[in-house]
Amino acid sequence: MAKIEIEIDGKMVRAKPGEMLISVTDREGISVPRFCYHKKLSVAASCRMCLVDVEGAPKPQPACSTPISEGMKIHTQNEKSKSSQKAVMEFLLINHPLDCPICDQGGECELQDVAVEYGSDVSCFSEGKRIVADNDIGPLIQTDMTRCIHCTRCVRFGAEIAGIMEMGGTGRGDHLKIEPFLTEGVTSELSGNMIDVCPVGALTSKPFRYELRSWQMNSTSTIARHDLVGSNINAQTYKGNVKRVVSGDNDAVNETWISDRDRFSYEGLSHENRLLEPQIKIEGQWKEVGWHVALDYAVKGLTSNILNNHQSDQLGVMASKTSTVEEFYLLQKIAREIGSENIDYRLNIKNLDNTAKLESNIKLGGLEGVDHALIVGSNPRLEQPMINHRLRKASLNGTSVDVINSMKFDFNYQLNSENIIAPNQIASTLAGVLSSVLASVSIELPDYLQSIKVSKESASIAEKLNNSDNSVIVLGEHVVNAENSATIVNLIAQIAKHTNSTTLNLSTTANSLAAELTGFVPGSKGMNVNAMLESDLKAYILLDIYPEYDFHHADKAIDALNDKDNFVISLNGFKNDIVSEYSDVILPIAAFYETSGTHININGDMQSFAASVVAPGESKPAWKVFKVLADLLKLPGFNYVDSTQITEEVSHQAHNNHLHNENIDLSITSDNINIIWQQSPYSIDALLRHSGSLQQTKIGKLNFAYMNASVAKDLGVSADSKYLGVPVVITDAVADRCVFVNANKATQTGGES
Amino acid sequence: MNEVCFKNLDKKDSWSLAVYEASGGYSVWRKILRGELTPEQIIDELKASGLRGRGGAGFPTGLKWSFMPRNSAGQKYVVCNSDEGEPGTCKDRDILRYNPHAVIEGMAIGGFVMNATTGYNYIRGEFIEPFNRFEGALKEAYAAGLLGENISDSGVDFNLYAHLGAGAYVCGEETALLESIEGKKGQPRFKPPFPANVGLYGKPTTINNTESFASVADILSKGGKWFADLGVENSGGCKLFSVSGHVKNPANFEVSMGTPFKDLLEMAGGMRDGAKLKAVIPGGSSTPVLTADVAMAMTMDYDGIEKAGSMLGAGSVIVMDESTCMVETLTRLAHFYYDESCGQCTPCREGTGWLYRALKRITDGNGKDGDIELLLNVQDKIMGNTICALGDAAAMPVESFLRNFREEFEYYIEHGKSMVKG
Ligand SMILES: Cc1cc2nc3c(=O)[nH]c(=O)nc-3n(C[C@H](O)[C@H](O)[C@H](O)COP(=O)(O)O)c2cc1C
Ligand code: SF4
Ligand code: FES
Repeated sequence: MAKIEIEIDGKMVRAKPGEMLISVTDREGISVPRFCYHKKLSVAASCRMCLVDVEGAPKPQPACSTPISEGMKIHTQNEKSKSSQKAVMEFLLINHPLDCPICDQGGECELQDVAVEYGSDVSCFSEGKRIVADNDIGPLIQTDMTRCIHCTRCVRFGAEIAGIMEMGGTGRGDHLKIEPFLTEGVTSELSGNMIDVCPVGALTSKPFRYELRSWQMNSTSTIARHDLVGSNINAQTYKGNVKRVVSGDNDAVNETWISDRDRFSYEGLSHENRLLEPQIKIEGQWKEVGWHVALDYAVKGLTSNILNNHQSDQLGVMASKTSTVEEFYLLQKIAREIGSENIDYRLNIKNLDNTAKLESNIKLGGLEGVDHALIVGSNPRLEQPMINHRLRKASLNGTSVDVINSMKFDFNYQLNSENIIAPNQIASTLAGVLSSVLASVSIELPDYLQSIKVSKESASIAEKLNNSDNSVIVLGEHVVNAENSATIVNLIAQIAKHTNSTTLNLSTTANSLAAELTGFVPGSKGMNVNAMLESDLKAYILLDIYPEYDFHHADKAIDALNDKDNFVISLNGFKNDIVSEYSDVILPIAAFYETSGTHININGDMQSFAASVVAPGESKPAWKVFKVLADLLKLPGFNYVDSTQITEEVSHQAHNNHLHNENIDLSITSDNINIIWQQSPYSIDALLRHSGSLQQTKIGKLNFAYMNASVAKDLGVSADSKYLGVPVVITDAVADRCVFVNANKATQTGGES
Repeated sequence: MNEVCFKNLDKKDSWSLAVYEASGGYSVWRKILRGELTPEQIIDELKASGLRGRGGAGFPTGLKWSFMPRNSAGQKYVVCNSDEGEPGTCKDRDILRYNPHAVIEGMAIGGFVMNATTGYNYIRGEFIEPFNRFEGALKEAYAAGLLGENISDSGVDFNLYAHLGAGAYVCGEETALLESIEGKKGQPRFKPPFPANVGLYGKPTTINNTESFASVADILSKGGKWFADLGVENSGGCKLFSVSGHVKNPANFEVSMGTPFKDLLEMAGGMRDGAKLKAVIPGGSSTPVLTADVAMAMTMDYDGIEKAGSMLGAGSVIVMDESTCMVETLTRLAHFYYDESCGQCTPCREGTGWLYRALKRITDGNGKDGDIELLLNVQDKIMGNTICALGDAAAMPVESFLRNFREEFEYYIEHGKSMVKG
């Protein structure tokens, strides 16, 4: 669009016609005060702080909602502008408590900042001030609504970004109150952003309440590692502790929002369960020792158990999917240098012969541009909140969304169709889609599709994909353990290929893309995790693993690791009884925020971060532990001084060559009750499980086995009993012949039916 | 007197379709349905009539209708503002009670001119009787085949619905009214965009006052010039004035624009109990108050009232006699705006509360030096800085009360009691 010229404070400025004046002044570095305006929210134009003088207009105009036009002349600093701004400032302050000394926002308060410039030091207001009663809106956000200036940023955030209007304005005039509509308070998975958008101290972080002043803390930018986005965050630290986390800006990744999970998980860092000292087990007794002793003990154990006997293939290494690129890389390098390819991170997969590869070939920003999305087996709102946010934005712009899931979830955007079917029917539905797609492009059907009858639902899903120019198929976590999971993945790949759709693979989260990239998977001569557990291996190195949470075959894993004849080296951030039981050495390691490293997100961005704080006690970053261990084992090629050298090396020799099942087999049509076992969103890693406030939220308390009445009857459970240790909820939201489990605790069976 | 909106006032069942049609009602609408009138002709006639919006702002109706993008694709709406919340006003209530078909015909004509096939009449929440009358009239009009789809095979569609408000004054502000129809909290929208471009449900919309719509059919049947000649230069036609306060016979009067105020006062039976006139608010509580002398010399038309220092507004004439304490009156008015501010924009939310609390303090006997300056200062800080005109409406009376009756305020502050009542 052709640019136009306007004059601001005597200076000629070029801008797009129709652009709001405030974006032009912001770009030009001209300061216009504001409260209600937020660049990622709709315009409210209600605080009136941004009033400026536009020549020709009798009244001052709000810069945030005045579209510019050719030849406009604006004065932001003249008497008329200043007197309006000062008037508004005075009005905002008359009922404000001015309790800055006891307000957590002090020092980072937009009202305080603007008042310094526009406020007066004497008030002519002598009437009684307004007082607003507070509601408890949940464990994450502290409210002090007497301080509220009614900018409605939080209300608009809820309605526009979080997609549920949990805060609203009730009452009118100076009885207007910003408050939650429901007694439940604020429960959105993105709720913490309200703290960031609130310009004053009305909404502040509850866990951080009365802790510190913002200027007492250092801020380091880092990367959140709980999901596939790698949101950019700022860790605010004081005397070596992370005290608060706020969002960072990165339009290509998280824009300016972060999930509550990324914001509040830091609380786990100071949990009393942190592991602080290296320890070794001598004759069944644990003993805290120094690092030298512990590492010597580890080396001796490895030497006597495998190295001396030339049984290096008897080593198994496993890591949590939250590990960093550097940690994955060094641990697999140690294994390979020793001579073992028994390497794996896919602990939660029931049948590793039944996995197939689906690539992600669309970026986060690209998601906003799709015209159609098909989501298979995912509750993206809770699993990948920031990816769901992009899908929601797309949907608001008219993108249609079809869903194939085994349970109805609370989507915060409109769905075109919601197909709720048990996992073992998903393959046949997708086969119908593929058949319909191939028919429409006149490609001969492969044998496996010959006998497939195309249902109405499949046909309409196919039609949507066919008719769209830019569609995406999103695969989630729920089908990874389905009986025909590889078939499902391969069908999706075929459908995507023939409809020119992009694909987005959300089936494994956190930093699992880094595991794939660094080759943290079994080599051609190696065993996968399930095979290792059956093979009585002689030695293990386990990185941040908590078996009862991490393994699908938890009982089997615990048994195998407890074998008397093996030697187990565990690196953990938190104490855990089961780990103590089977380990021979436990090495305390740095958690999130305490180590440098790299996360790979769904865009393929390698986002490196420095440590924000030093790890507590004797714990050390795992990459350093591996480096020293390798040196002690006299393995070549570990001369790293800092972790960036490792990252550099990884980018030169990425390998990823483990086997995938490329078959499409539609013969499995069992009528078994299908179980989808999923860790609840705030229990997916050890740090989260130790973050107190998150655990008290509604999402944190998700711990239910959902099923319909007929399945409950078949399983012999009822609404007040438990299934696999998880309280039962009877609901029609779940597909028939299917149980959907969201568990926050370990179970005896680890999801085995 | 009583030549347009009230012309059937003295007839039995004046609100019925039969009475309306007997006096020429729906003849214009039928002409349109027969294809004998074009939108351009209608707009020209309205412009010639000098009809100005009767909701308060006095914007020329013909001009307003010509702004609608009638040829753009998509739904368009026509909305009637019967929220009538301005203290002192009750004229629209009586139009709805006694002449609802004139509103229906006016809206239908508007719908045709602006290519809007759907109309809403937003009626003040407390107006149950007028609402029922209007609903009854709608039923009659539908039954007579005057509304609906493809009316009398003309190819013209017009559906009309009544919507009952819930008692907020601010919903009379046209964009708050649209929000309210949409089912949202009644808060004014910022402008631009204006409703003619982005209105109800985001579609082009024209909003007019009840009296404006009720005047349209007669203007078209008798001619713009006829209407213009009823009034004076710049103020065409006649106008409903709601006369209230210390008069013998408070009522609505439809008189020619330009009628002297003293004649209007006489029609209302003159001052009650022979008391002396003290002050007049000529256009509704939002317009500046005038002293007796000025009022008695004023004519009731846009220019006449403006010359006197106030505004015609909605034609709500509040008459006050010598027994009135102007400090307490202003306090009562300030309370109204404090109570009715929607609260979204800062100057109005905070300013109306401040004005009211300061005035309340004065009438409680706790006034202090500097209070008058304070009140003037606060009203000045509200003026012009708000989203909608409610802020200005709250500010304006303060300035005029203090200008015209300053000594009463000084007395109240100094003595802690009313100069008038003691
Ligand atoms: C606070 C406020 C209240 C209003 N109340 C009314 C009302 O009750 N009735 C009305 O017709 N106009 C009211 N208006 C004016 C409307 O916004 C609008 O100008 C009018 O309905 C347009 O119709 P007209 O052009 O026919 O006058 C009000 C305006 C404000 C700012
Ligand atoms: S001026 Fe008052 S009523 Fe109008 S938008 Fe602002 S707060 Fe609401
Ligand atoms: S920032 Fe423009 S009105 Fe609030």
